Amino acid sequence: MATLTQQQFDPASAWARYEPDARRPWNLALAGHLYRRAAFGASWGQLQRALRDGPQRTVDALLRPVGDVAAFNRQYDELETPANDENSSNDLRAWWLQRMIRTPHPLQETMTLFWHGHFGVNAAKVNSARAVQQHLQLLRRHALGSFREMLAGVVKDAAVFLTLDAKASRKAFPDEHLARWFLEAFTVGPGRFSDRDVREVARAFSGCFVLQNQLRFIERERDAGTKRILGQEGIFTGEDVARILAEQPATAQTIVRKVYRWLISETAEPDERLLSPLVESFAKNHDVLQLAETMLRSNLFFSAAAYLQRMKSPVEFALGIVKGLEETVSTPPLAEALVRLGQNLLHPPTAKGWLGGQNWINHATLAGRHNLAAALLKSDGAFGGKLNPAAVASKHGTDARLFLDLFLQGDAEPSGDSGTDARRAAYAAITMPEFQLA
Amino acid sequence: MAKTSSIVLGLCLAVLAGRGAMAADATSAPTQWIPADAVLAVELFQPKALLTLFCDGKAAAALAALPGAGKRKAQPGFEKFMGVVKYLESQLGTDWPTGLGKMAGGGAAFALRPQQQVLFVADAEDVEMLKQLHEFLWKAASGNKNNATSSREVGGATAWSLGPKVAHTIVGKRLVASSGFDGLQTALEFRSKPGGASLAATPAYQAARRAVGPDAAGMIFVNMAALKQAPGIAKALQPKESNPLVALLFAGIAESVGASNWLAIGLRVQEKEDCLALQVVSDGAKLDPKGPAAFALPAKREEGALPNLAVPRQIAALSMYRDLRRFYGAKDQLFPERTSGLIFFENMMGIFFCGRDMTDDVFAQARPEIRLVVANQQYDPAIGTPSPQIPAFALVLQMRNPAQFREVMEEAWQKSIGLASFTRGQKAEPGFVIDRPVHWTTKYSVARFSSTGVKDRSKLDVRFNFSPSLAMPGNHLILSSTEQLACDLIDALGREAKQPPAPLAQTHSLLEAAGDRVAAALLANRDSMVRQNMLKSGGASEADSTGIDALIAFTEFVEQLRLTFSAESGMNQAKLELKFKWPGQKVAETR
Repeated sequence: MATLTQQQFDPASAWARYEPDARRPWNLALAGHLYRRAAFGASWGQLQRALRDGPQRTVDALLRPVGDVAAFNRQYDELETPANDENSSNDLRAWWLQRMIRTPHPLQETMTLFWHGHFGVNAAKVNSARAVQQHLQLLRRHALGSFREMLAGVVKDAAVFLTLDAKASRKAFPDEHLARWFLEAFTVGPGRFSDRDVREVARAFSGCFVLQNQLRFIERERDAGTKRILGQEGIFTGEDVARILAEQPATAQTIVRKVYRWLISETAEPDERLLSPLVESFAKNHDVLQLAETMLRSNLFFSAAAYLQRMKSPVEFALGIVKGLEETVSTPPLAEALVRLGQNLLHPPTAKGWLGGQNWINHATLAGRHNLAAALLKSDGAFGGKLNPAAVASKHGTDARLFLDLFLQGDAEPSGDSGTDARRAAYAAITMPEFQLA
Repeated sequence: MAKTSSIVLGLCLAVLAGRGAMAADATSAPTQWIPADAVLAVELFQPKALLTLFCDGKAAAALAALPGAGKRKAQPGFEKFMGVVKYLESQLGTDWPTGLGKMAGGGAAFALRPQQQVLFVADAEDVEMLKQLHEFLWKAASGNKNNATSSREVGGATAWSLGPKVAHTIVGKRLVASSGFDGLQTALEFRSKPGGASLAATPAYQAARRAVGPDAAGMIFVNMAALKQAPGIAKALQPKESNPLVALLFAGIAESVGASNWLAIGLRVQEKEDCLALQVVSDGAKLDPKGPAAFALPAKREEGALPNLAVPRQIAALSMYRDLRRFYGAKDQLFPERTSGLIFFENMMGIFFCGRDMTDDVFAQARPEIRLVVANQQYDPAIGTPSPQIPAFALVLQMRNPAQFREVMEEAWQKSIGLASFTRGQKAEPGFVIDRPVHWTTKYSVARFSSTGVKDRSKLDVRFNFSPSLAMPGNHLILSSTEQLACDLIDALGREAKQPPAPLAQTHSLLEAAGDRVAAALLANRDSMVRQNMLKSGGASEADSTGIDALIAFTEFVEQLRLTFSAESGMNQAKLELKFKWPGQKVAETR
């Protein structure tokens, strides 16, 4: 394990490709680290293969998987489509969890989850499962694509408008709340725009109405006057707003900084100098895949500055167990269990998503994580005993350290005698403090 | 090999069968060697009749036609198993159904005892064949490298164990097998004291035997008194007071099971019709005519539920005798807890029926003969087909005073439709359009969703399964989920009026279902069910569809199911008749 911290990196070496050497060897710990951040976790087979393939080939497979991702997504798009425009998105939530477990492209789902937190659409406010599904599909389509295109989709997305209580943007009453949210939370960030910008963006959105859960543009309610937004002047509409905001260097800074917290570290704020090469590049091409690729291949990613420098969200905690044990579980009860741990998918607490980090952990949620771990490993109950550590142990060898290596990659030693019982050994590993970290 | 031997022995023990004439001891039925503490016992009096029903070519063809059968056959374990069966057939010089008949010709009984002990007793017609089988299995198990065989003297007889938790002995023509030598010892003690404290000697078993009658081919006996000692089961059998609909539907049934000391299911084979009839009897107390649940008791001897109505594409029909006035009048005793659901119901009924007294002014208007019909839908191609496809369902009542009640009901129905439309409108969803068309001479009310502007008609919204309708032909009241079913019921009631049926005296519930129609409904919603299964199990679609396809195929084999509940001779009786349709047989169309 490399021991360099973020402060010890200059930007060029930080973002240069990690090439293992005697001082920084490629090992099980780094393979586990990569899979935790990019794929919710890994099975023993995936870890072993990663060890054989080396870091860059493993990242290749995570960025551009061989399987037919489009066909898989088409199948799941069909499966998750609600039979009618239901108010509840509970099934959708469960389908998404199942997709996260089974997808051949887990990085796409981790990034979809990232964007879900960024735009913070809340199904309870949207009140239409179909509108929420369309929003999720929009996020997934661009999760590793162009941020500019994603933003162009978001300004036409009924779910976003409903979450922000912006059902009707009239000429006489432009929705400044909606405008402020686009500027502050989605793009340029706080302190980088004026109140006038807010008013002008609100005017540009005039004419946008959500009717029967669809966004419609009503011409008579459009403010056709000239607007001045962040230094640009014109007869702008919502689509123009998306373009202008995507082009702002401040937007690139906001997004790069946020992706850094997601993929690299949430414990230390990166300085501008460190991020500047990524920001410059992202401001030009808005390419999320390239941004993620640079981060995942970097020396910084495979250093102590990133290793275990994130708290696992409840989703990452649960899926880490499921993926490690090579099975799928019933996801409706899993989605409910995650609510008790503080992460109700499709229902973030605010439109800014979840705070994350240390906020995930308190006495109640830690006890809840232990209870969920026990329930997942139980031979009966809501999860039907599908996860079978004994089967995994018999498949990969009955070494007493198997589950420690699988789940913790040697980051912890057993705190007590978990004996030879596979369930107890697995439970001991996944309830360790180190397993709560990503 | 030991494992294979155990499987074969297990198979043999599970299905050994024969006729009672050749018992080991003429005075000793198999159940006379089963202790009285058995919680569940299955006794086959005429096992060959059951063998004929289930082991003939038609049943085998049916099983082979089940989805997944090919895949199961292709598994190496199956091939190995069939190899052993074929080898045994060659050794015994007979095919396996004949062999089974000969090796347990005198009847058979299986019992489940406390601490998960099992006991199996069977009497052979051809004891030499039984011994031959034993020799083969013993040799095979002894020769295995993981040999776990043992033998010892038990109750004066030599007993053998082929592996853990299985032991057997042959006494005369009788095979006794148990989950251990201790279980054999208990059974063999009955040799010296025939009858004794055996199951057959208990008053409960004897009463059950009498209740299923002498012509039954077999009987399943459940010791309810013992079973109710388990806290989980006792709780499950307690009447559920919180759900009025459950109380209404299962009145007299739940109470009977809860109060019973035993429950027996008699098996009757009607060979000519390929029909297996199950008669369920219990000693549960008759409903107290003055008790709160007496609304399900036919008031007079000749009263009872009416025969079911028949409509096109009918899946199932339920006819009940329920005095709704008495039911609602007793609600405070039946449901002492004022749940939010009950309060909501009362509030809504108050609105729909303009504050009338629900007991005397509304429910008293309905006669106790209530009928429910469920039928598959035929969707109008001009409108499209919704997904999922929900079968139509309807309630048919008879009004005591139609002249007075007709308008009251019409107003209540229109208010409820208006409220539903209003609520949908609040959620920006399309509402109903009410129409008053005429079918033959009956003017009825229907509320439809408009399909104007719907783009994709191949997969319509689920709401297009519903066109709520109210029709009141003669003194009947039809509340239907679809217009089509309402019209079909107007026709059915018209036919019935020409030859009014007599009530089924003392029968309070009659359920009839057609297997192929149920299968059609399941098939229409197969994809939705697979989706739900996938979500619940977390499995792949292929694995989840196999179970559903098997269920659909099995349902198709059941040509007809008929379940009646009656209260005669001081005893609650349930009669279940299942008529099977094997592949290739044609079923008469229900009109």
